[in-house]
Amino acid sequence: MFIVFSILSHWLIVLALSPLFAGIIAKIKAFFAGKKGPSYFQLYFDLRRLFMKNCVYSRSTTWVFRFAPIVNLAAVLVLSLIIPLGSFKAPVHFSGDILLAAYVLGLARFFMIIAALDTSSSFEGMGASREAFFSCLSEMVLFMNFITLAFLTHSISLSTMIGADIPMSWKMAGTVLLLVVGSLFIVLLTENSRIPVDDPDTHLELTMIHEVMLLDHSGVDLGFMLYASAIKLFIFAGILVPIVYPVQTGIPLLDTLIFLGGMLGLSIVIGVVESTMARLRLNRVRNLLLIAFALAFFGFVVKMWKG
Amino acid sequence: MEKILQFPWQVPFGELSLRLDSLSLIFIVAVFILVLCAGTYAAGYMRQYRGKRPLGLHIFFYLLLSSALVFILLADNVILFLGAWELMTISAYFLIVFQDDDASVRRAGFIYLIASHCGTFLLILMFFLMAHHAGSMDLTLISHAGFSPFLAGIIFLLAIFGFGVKAGFIPIHIWLPHAHPAAPSHVSAVLSGVMIKMGIYGICRVLWTINVLPDWCGYLLLLIGVVSGVMGVLYALGQHELKKLLAYHSIENIGIIAIGLGVGLLGRGHQMPFLAVLGFGGALLHVFNHSIFKGLLFLGAGAVIQKTHTGQMDQMGGLARSMPLVSLLFLVGAMAICGLPLFNGFISEFIIYFGLFQGLFHLPLQGAFACALGIIALALMGSLALACFTKVYGTVFLGEPRHPGIQGGQTPALMLAPMLILGGICLWIGLFPQTMAKMAFSAGAYLSHSQISTLNMGNIFLPLSFIIYGILLFLIVVIFLAGLRWKLLRGLTIPLRETWICAFSQITPKFQYTSSSFARPIVDFFKGILFFKREGGEVKGNFPLKTSMASSVHDAVEEFLIKPMYRRLTVLSKKLDINRIRYTQMYLMYILLYLIFLLAWKLK
Amino acid sequence: MTTWVDTSCIITVFLALIILSNYRVTAMIRIFALQSFVLSLLPFFLHAYSLSGRDIFIVIVTMVLKAALAPSILFWAIRHVSMRSEIKPILGFGSSIILGVILIAGAFWVSSSLKLPGGKPASDLILPCSLSTVLLGFMIMVTRTRAVTQVLGYLILENGIFLFAVSLFDVMPVLIEMGILLDIFVAVFIMAIVVNHINEEFEKDLASVSRSKMGETF
Repeated sequence: MFIVFSILSHWLIVLALSPLFAGIIAKIKAFFAGKKGPSYFQLYFDLRRLFMKNCVYSRSTTWVFRFAPIVNLAAVLVLSLIIPLGSFKAPVHFSGDILLAAYVLGLARFFMIIAALDTSSSFEGMGASREAFFSCLSEMVLFMNFITLAFLTHSISLSTMIGADIPMSWKMAGTVLLLVVGSLFIVLLTENSRIPVDDPDTHLELTMIHEVMLLDHSGVDLGFMLYASAIKLFIFAGILVPIVYPVQTGIPLLDTLIFLGGMLGLSIVIGVVESTMARLRLNRVRNLLLIAFALAFFGFVVKMWKG
Repeated sequence: MEKILQFPWQVPFGELSLRLDSLSLIFIVAVFILVLCAGTYAAGYMRQYRGKRPLGLHIFFYLLLSSALVFILLADNVILFLGAWELMTISAYFLIVFQDDDASVRRAGFIYLIASHCGTFLLILMFFLMAHHAGSMDLTLISHAGFSPFLAGIIFLLAIFGFGVKAGFIPIHIWLPHAHPAAPSHVSAVLSGVMIKMGIYGICRVLWTINVLPDWCGYLLLLIGVVSGVMGVLYALGQHELKKLLAYHSIENIGIIAIGLGVGLLGRGHQMPFLAVLGFGGALLHVFNHSIFKGLLFLGAGAVIQKTHTGQMDQMGGLARSMPLVSLLFLVGAMAICGLPLFNGFISEFIIYFGLFQGLFHLPLQGAFACALGIIALALMGSLALACFTKVYGTVFLGEPRHPGIQGGQTPALMLAPMLILGGICLWIGLFPQTMAKMAFSAGAYLSHSQISTLNMGNIFLPLSFIIYGILLFLIVVIFLAGLRWKLLRGLTIPLRETWICAFSQITPKFQYTSSSFARPIVDFFKGILFFKREGGEVKGNFPLKTSMASSVHDAVEEFLIKPMYRRLTVLSKKLDINRIRYTQMYLMYILLYLIFLLAWKLK
Repeated sequence: MTTWVDTSCIITVFLALIILSNYRVTAMIRIFALQSFVLSLLPFFLHAYSLSGRDIFIVIVTMVLKAALAPSILFWAIRHVSMRSEIKPILGFGSSIILGVILIAGAFWVSSSLKLPGGKPASDLILPCSLSTVLLGFMIMVTRTRAVTQVLGYLILENGIFLFAVSLFDVMPVLIEMGILLDIFVAVFIMAIVVNHINEEFEKDLASVSRSKMGETF
C-alpha cells in the first residue's frame, strides 16, 4: 500500500510543479527581452483550455497518430517514478533502472516519430528525421555519462547514482563531476529542445525539431504532448540538480526545500542560457553534441585514471 | 543436462551420435518455432506460383533444410556436423534460387554458395585440427582434451572466420545482402532467423569445447560485435529496398549477440561466473528473440511485397489502411527489434547491458574499457535501429501512397496466423520473460562450465521483475489516459481535414518525406564510413528540364575488398591462361598430384 | 587546492581539443589565449599555502608572455598576411573530436606506466594532462596547412611542456622555466619574421601568385 501512496504522491508533485517550472523559464526569457511576459501559471491555463477543446485530424493519419500523445505522456509519467525528487525517494528503483528509463524514453520517441511520418506532411517528416538523428548522438552522450556516474557510485540504479554520497564525490572527484554536469546540461538542452539546440517558440520549418512534431496535434492530444514536454524538462532538471547541489541534511522538509531551490536555480540558468544565446545552425548542433560526448568521455578517462 | 544417443554408421570416422544439452536446446526451440511458422506461411504465399514453378521440389528442399538444421544442433561427431552443415548449405541454395529466371537471383545464389564453401573450408581445417589434437572425432571426447593457448588461439580464429561467414560478421558478410532479397520471404525468414544462428551455434560449440581460451579472444569477439553492429545498422539505414534493409539489420543483431558472447568469454576468462552467465545468457536469449522477431518482420515484408510486387520502400506508403493486421504485426516486430520495452528485444538487450555494466565494475582496466565501448556501441546501435525502423514503418505503412498503382490487399489467413503466433511470442517474452530467461541462463551456465545453482541469479531476476512491474504500470497509465481522452472527446464530432502544407492548394503525396531523405542526416554524418554514391541531380542552366537523381549506399567491404580482389584474380587467371586446360584434365591432374604427395609422405 | 589544479589541467586539455576541431584562426588564437591564462595561474594554485616571490614572478611573466604577447603577435601576423581560414579542413569536426579523444585516452594509458621523479606531485592529473596537451599540439600541427596555425600548434605543445615542468617546480631549477619561456618567444618571433619575408616575397610579384596561397607552408 505504501508503494501506491508513494507513486501517487510522486505523480502529484510532478504533475503540479512541471508547468510552473516551464512558466518560470518563459518569464525569465521575457525579462531579458524587456517584456512583462506571460503569467507564471500560463501553461496551466493553456492545458485546461486544450483539454476542453475538440481535436481535428488529418485524413492521412491512422490510429498511430491518435495513440502517440498517450504513449508519450504515459512514458514520461513512468519515467518520473524512477527519478528521486528531493526527499521523496523514487518509488521504482532497482539495479539497471537507468536502462528502463532510457528505453522508455525511446518508446515515446518511436511513437512521436511515426506519428510525425503518419501525417504525410513534409514539415513533420523534416522534424522527425532531425529528431532521429539528434537522438542517436544524445543517447551516446547520455550513456557515456551513465557509465561515468556508475563508475563513481558503483551502481546502476538512478537513485543511488544521483542520490547518496554525492557530497563525498565532489571532494574526491570534483573535476569528473564538473565534466559530467557540463555534458548532462547539454543533453538537457537537446532532449527538451531548448536554445541553442532548438527553439521551442518557433514555427519556421528551417528551425524546428521537436516543435514541428506538435504541429498537427490539436485539442486533447496537444494538451497531452505539451504536458509531456513540461514533465520531461522537469525530470531532466531533477536528474541534474542533485548532482550539482550535493547537500543532504537528513531532515525531509529541508531536503525538499533545497531541492526546490536547486530546481529554481536551474530554471534561472536555463532561462539565461536561452536568452543570451542564439539557436545554432543545424550542423553546429551536431558539433555541440560531439563536444558533449568529448566532455563525458574525458570525465570517464579521468575517473579511470584516478580510480 | 545432456542426453547422448548413439547409432552405428557406415561412414569412416563418423558415428551417428547425437547429443542434446542446454546449449542446443534453446537453438532447437527457435528452429522448430520458426520453421513451422514459416512453413505455414509458405503454404499461403506459394499459392501464387502453383502450376508455374516446381513447388514440390521447393518443399522437398525446405524439409531437407529443416532436418539439416536439427542435425547440426544435435551432432556430437565432427563428420556428422560437417555433413549436416553441407546439407544445410546446399538445400538453402536451392531454396534461395527459387525464382531462377531472374539473373540477380542466380547471382545471389552463386555468391552465397561460394562464400559458404569458403567458410566450410576453414571449418574443415578447424575441426580436423581439433580432432587430430584430441585423437577422436567425438565432440564430447574432444571437449575433455586440453588445448595449448597457441592451438586454442588458432582454432578460435578459424572458428570466427569459418562460422562468421555463415553468421554474417563484417567483413565476411557479403553474401547476406544479396541472398535475402533474392529468396522468397519465408526462406529469408528461415535464413535470417535460424540459419545464420547456426554460425553462432558453431562458435558457441567451439567456445564450449575449448575450456581455456587466451584473453584476447574475448576482446576480439567484442570488437567484432561492435563493428558488425554499428556498420550493419548504418548500411541498413542507407537501403531503399525492404528486404535488403532487413538483411543488414540481421547483421546488426548478430553484432549484439557477439558483444554478449564477448562479455561472457571475458567473464569466463577472468573467473567471474556470474558475468559469464549474464553475457552468454543474454546473447543466447537474443538469438532466440531475434529469430522470432526477424521471422515476423520478414513474413510481414513478404505479405507486403506480395501485394505491391516491389520491394522499393519509396514507392509504397499508406499501406496501414489497406493491410491493418499486417501493419500492426509489423509494428510489433519493429518495436521488438528496436529493443523497446513491452517486447522481447528489450529483455535480452537489458541482460547484455547488465552484463556489460558488471564487467565495467569488476574487470581489470582493459576489460572495463572494452565494456564501456560495448555499452556506447549498444546505445548507438539502439538509437540507429530506432531511426531505421521508424523510417521503414513510416515510409511503408503510414502516410499517403507514393505510387498510385501500388496498394495493399487482403492477406490470406494462412499467412496471417504464423505472424500472429510470432507476434504473440514477442509479447509473451516481453511481459513474462522468466521461462525463456531461465532457459537462456542455464544454456549460458553450461557454456561457461559453471553450475547455475551456485550463482545468485536473483541479482538479475529481481531487476527483470521490476521491469515487468514498470511495464505493467505503463500499460495501466496508457489505458487510463486513453479512457480520459475518450471521455473528453465523447459526444463531439471530430472533423477530418487535409494535412496543412503551408497553404499549398494542390497537395500530392510527393510532399512526404521519402525513406532516403529521412535517413539523410544520419548517412551524411557517417559519410566517412559509409560509401555513399550519388548520381545525377545537377541542375544546369537557367531553365532546367527534368532531371533525375539516384543515391545509394554501397557496401564498403564489397567495393574495396572483394571486387578489387576479384578483378585481380580474373586478370591473374587470364595471364596464367588456365582456360585452355579442360576441367576433367585439371581434376585428373589434382588426383595425380595428391597420389604423388601421399606416396612421398608415407614412404619417406 | 587539488581540485583547482585538477580543474585547470582539465580545462587546458579540453581547450586544446576544441582548438583541434576548430578551423577558424581568430577563434583558435583566442582559445589559446584563454588556455595560456589558465595555465599561468597554475603555479599560484600549486603553492597557494606557501607563496614565494618566485611563484608570483613566474605567474606574471607567463601571463604577459603567453596570454597577452603571443596572441597579439599572432593577430598582427594574420592581419599582415591577410590570411583567411582554411576552406577545406583536413579532418572534419567529428573525426577530429574522435581522434582527439582517442589521443587523450592513449596519453592517459601511457602515463599509467610513467613515473615522475621527486616524490609525490601535487595532483596526479598533471602528468597525463600534459602528455595529452603535447599530443594534441602535435596533432594540430599535423592537420593544419597554414604557417600561423602550425605555429599555434607548436605553442600549444609548449603549453603542455610548461604544464609538465610546473609540476616539477621544486625539483628542477629555474633554468628550465626560463628556457621554455624563451623557446616560445623565439618561436613567435621566428614566425613573425618568416611570415614577413613571405609577405614581402609575394608582394614583389603579386600578379602571378593567387591570394589564397599566402601564408601557406607545405
